[in-house]
Amino acid sequence: MARSIKKGFYVDPSLQDKIEEAQKGGARKPVQTWSRRSTITPDFVGVTFNVHNGKSFVPVYVTENMVGHKLGEFALTRTFKGHGSHTKK
Amino acid sequence: MPRLIGVDIPNNKKLEYALRYIYGIGPTLSREIVAASEIDPATRAQDLTEEQLNRLTALITERNHLVEGDLRRSIAANLKRLQAINCSRGIRHRRGLPVRGQRTSTNARTRKGARRTVGVMKKK
Repeated sequence: MARSIKKGFYVDPSLQDKIEEAQKGGARKPVQTWSRRSTITPDFVGVTFNVHNGKSFVPVYVTENMVGHKLGEFALTRTFKGHGSHTKK
Repeated sequence: MPRLIGVDIPNNKKLEYALRYIYGIGPTLSREIVAASEIDPATRAQDLTEEQLNRLTALITERNHLVEGDLRRSIAANLKRLQAINCSRGIRHRRGLPVRGQRTSTNARTRKGARRTVGVMKKK
């Protein structure tokens, strides 16, 4: 079930602070975050995030189209390298 | 045979069923439209008068229902957007795998299509 509109988008409070910081400072360093569950709001646009995928950080540059998705959707947690690679040697 | 919204030619069935041949109109919408149009539901599609056809077209357009080409285009645009932003859903669409977290170890045949056997090749 979808989240109630009354509550608004969910953004981790700690991440929100980091974003406000990043938007203020002109030169933008990527924002490192583990908060894959945070929804991308319009003030995320233009910031690069390093989103944790459980192992490493994946750089995600946020554009306008991404608003409403979660950060985790852009950092895949699984790698599939294909079947049968061991037989191709 | 009558024409409704461009190229659709519903056949000689009752109105409620004939409307469903239009892409984007299913049982619910079809029933709603027939009720709102105040045409006898038992009329066959081929017996519709010009004026009744116009009324049906007007109803569908003024209620802003996406049908046929427009609907297909909007669906394609949605898919394209998902793929362009490189999110997990877009990637799943691109690879032809289930999008909503279903298992893929077995099943998922609707998305993956007919089974393709991947044989183990022997070392030469």
